[in-house]
Amino acid sequence: MTNDGEQRCRSRRRFLAAASTAGIAGLAGCNGLFGSGGESTTTSTGNGSGTGNATNGTAGSAGQIGSGRSPFGDRNLEGGVSMAEMPELSGELTLYSGRGEPLVGTLIEYIEELYPDFAVRTKYGSAIELVNLIQTEGQSSPADVFFSVNAGALGQLANAGRTTSLPEEILDFVPQEFRDPSGNWVGTSGRARSVPYNTNQFSESDIPTKIMEFPNTEALQGQMGWAPTYSSFQAFITAMRILEGEDATRQWLNGMQELGVQQYNDEFLVSQAVADGELAAGFANHYYTLRVQAGRANAPIALAFTENDAGSVFNVAGGAVVDTASDDTLAANFVRHLLSAEAQDYFARETYEYPTVPEIEPLGRLPAIDQLSPPEELDLTQLSELEETVSLLRDVGVL
Amino acid sequence: MGTERRTSTATASDADEASGRGDSLPLAPTLASAAVAAAVLLPLVWLVRRALDVPTTELLPLFSRSTEFVANSLALVAATTVASLLIGVPLAYLTVRTDLPFKRGFTVAASLPLVIPSYIGAFAFVSALGPRGIAQRALGVESLPSIYGFGGAALVMTLYTYPYVYITVRAALKSMDTTLIDAARTLKQSRWEAFKRVTVPQIRPAAAAGALLVALYTLSDFGTPAIMRFDAMTREVYLAFNSFDRDLAGLLSLQLVGVTLFILALESWVRGGDPLHSGRQGGRTDDVVRLGKWKLPAMLATAAVPALALVVPLAVLLGWWAAGTTDTGASLALTPSHVFNSVGVAGAAALVAALAGLPVAYLSARYRSKLAGVFDRATYVGYAVPGVALGLALVYLGTEVSGVLPIYQTVWLLVFAYLVRFLPQAVGSMRASFLRVNPALPEAARTLGRTSVGAFRSVTMPLIAPGVVGGAALVFLTTMKELPATLMLAPPGFETLVLRVWAAYDQGYFGYAAVPALVLLGVSGLSMLVIISQEGYDVK
Repeated sequence: MTNDGEQRCRSRRRFLAAASTAGIAGLAGCNGLFGSGGESTTTSTGNGSGTGNATNGTAGSAGQIGSGRSPFGDRNLEGGVSMAEMPELSGELTLYSGRGEPLVGTLIEYIEELYPDFAVRTKYGSAIELVNLIQTEGQSSPADVFFSVNAGALGQLANAGRTTSLPEEILDFVPQEFRDPSGNWVGTSGRARSVPYNTNQFSESDIPTKIMEFPNTEALQGQMGWAPTYSSFQAFITAMRILEGEDATRQWLNGMQELGVQQYNDEFLVSQAVADGELAAGFANHYYTLRVQAGRANAPIALAFTENDAGSVFNVAGGAVVDTASDDTLAANFVRHLLSAEAQDYFARETYEYPTVPEIEPLGRLPAIDQLSPPEELDLTQLSELEETVSLLRDVGVL
Repeated sequence: MGTERRTSTATASDADEASGRGDSLPLAPTLASAAVAAAVLLPLVWLVRRALDVPTTELLPLFSRSTEFVANSLALVAATTVASLLIGVPLAYLTVRTDLPFKRGFTVAASLPLVIPSYIGAFAFVSALGPRGIAQRALGVESLPSIYGFGGAALVMTLYTYPYVYITVRAALKSMDTTLIDAARTLKQSRWEAFKRVTVPQIRPAAAAGALLVALYTLSDFGTPAIMRFDAMTREVYLAFNSFDRDLAGLLSLQLVGVTLFILALESWVRGGDPLHSGRQGGRTDDVVRLGKWKLPAMLATAAVPALALVVPLAVLLGWWAAGTTDTGASLALTPSHVFNSVGVAGAAALVAALAGLPVAYLSARYRSKLAGVFDRATYVGYAVPGVALGLALVYLGTEVSGVLPIYQTVWLLVFAYLVRFLPQAVGSMRASFLRVNPALPEAARTLGRTSVGAFRSVTMPLIAPGVVGGAALVFLTTMKELPATLMLAPPGFETLVLRVWAAYDQGYFGYAAVPALVLLGVSGLSMLVIISQEGYDVK
């Protein structure tokens, strides 16, 4: 795409200018780029002067957007709607982002750099906290757009009547299942619950396809790991409570404990332990496995997915226009940019998520989205209420 | 505070009557104190408003359910407070009153655990001592005694809050009239007797002030009990926020305020009568306790606690740093502006807290008035409100007044939040200093023709300086690490070290969290050094 080439040059020039005036900015911009290639231990700070790196022919990580570069080989960006074909953005926008800066910071920067008179003021926080914040601010909220890490917080904001519905043409970027039925929010990327397993110890067929069968699978005795303090894990248990009922969930948890499941602090650690062979399998969001693989080539780890149950929940991150937005059109168009080919490709390559726009493929090593079979009758917005799940986890001694 | 002032030093009785005479408060400090107390109580407005929206039918089941949480919290508070006193007081004594070598270094080390955010400290302990942790692997054992639960929570809580006792008691010892000890020794009292009969009464208000800070911090902290899996009251507040029930969260926060009032009352009762100032305030001799053969054991003991508190998180942070920064997350890199912002707001908060706390501490130490006591206690209320609830309360206030006073999403509201959260740290420390100043001294200055302001400046101020500096230092160090209110109230784009730590840590980019966390510790440590080297108040 010629547009991409132009944009890359433009942002590169801008990057060079910035780098020559402030070496530290160059340093900041280059970490992600060099980090995405090799071993994690060689990718820390200390890349020397910013200008030096930039003249090596590589722009900052914002310049990578649309380039197709990825740790898993380059790819061409085809399909979808480019930002260049979208309405231009101008003015100032206040974004409340429940997605972390490490994941979306460079994307927002990229969109800002694209338009000379457009600026984003971003307030980062946990999605739940930001919903509480917007509600407390009331009608004086400065927020224009809410960018959430899960559907639950979006649903909550919509239920509180604090969103403005998005135009059909923006909602239509994504299939029905990735957007609010009443049009208040749209999913921008997705993450699947998954079972990472060590390929030296298991093959995919060894992993049960039903989540409820795990406790009865003898081969997994003492071989599994999980991270029960992690919110996505708790959302998974919430889904199980909704789909299978309280008693079955309790039995499942007890069964897993009898299976000698080992506990970790987060799912990245679970995935790493699987790659290390410390565990044969675990429960984790799918992108952690790709983060492990990005750090070390040929790590013996692969993903299995269960079918049509709590173990295969597919949750989405997404955006909504807050009802206090000073310019609804600008806010909606910003959300539209999150559905652009460049942004969707960014989510695929940089955060290893599933694009929600069907024209943009996920990374080749992931199964296509229609090969996954998430539970059909589950309302994703119910998954953010974790209180009873936490009580249950404590009750059975998992927490 | 309505407690009878007791005069245990015979020479002080005349002066004491002079000061204790008045229930009539001086106008300017009273107005100033009233304004400060009203300001820091403002956030309660939101909590009350929210709480009133909770249906009354829910109240009974709610309170019966929370008795267990309340009992848990009180037990944790009691254990942490006692343990902090047992660590903080001896450490302060060793680093001030003895000939311990490297005193300055030990002083910095002993204060430094205060700058470690509790969630980092707790997380580090879990990483190190928890299941499948560093220690377990290193020792090659199947399992270690569980770090989770009451014991672990009390341990971690104590390691990161005992500096409150240490710093306030240290200030008291520094400005103590040591000639009294000489007098006691001349009267053939043993070291221990002299300590018990002279030093203990002198440092009691400071130890009480420090212990109160420990108790209320423990009560309001969410991070440590959560990570150590101990059901404290803050957990209920957090759960309420997480199920988007702000009304319930407001009510539960008020319940915490209720427990705070109980602890405040308890502290007043335990503290008993306020002492105590000598006739010759500020007298000092070079006499320090010679440790002799105990020098080495004392050094080891002094090093042990800070080492445990610092080495574990430092090792974990350095481990993260060594593991490197991976792939995405380049936007997390650190710039000098993060450091300037952190130091700037923390410095501003420390200054404002010292200024606002001064009249409150002065009145409450000098006058036997109920009102002065109320002002003093009022400053503690905001301290025990969990950071998230306080943050939202100030969001509410900030947006409500934004028409008249556009402070919402500015640094000013953030500094105000720090004032509400941390003012009692300054008040407690300064109040303890005022109590040690013999009112006869400023009276004498007035007799010699000074105005009351002049007497305060030239006589009282130098004598309370250690307490003011100590209090401001406490506010500075805790502001540097404050997270929940900062997260809520920092204007978009205003980045501080702790926000950097959080941004990376929250997303699992530990490599990126390590650098700002280490810089945070470094900057705080340096600030401690500066503060300590500025202590030019060894009045002879």
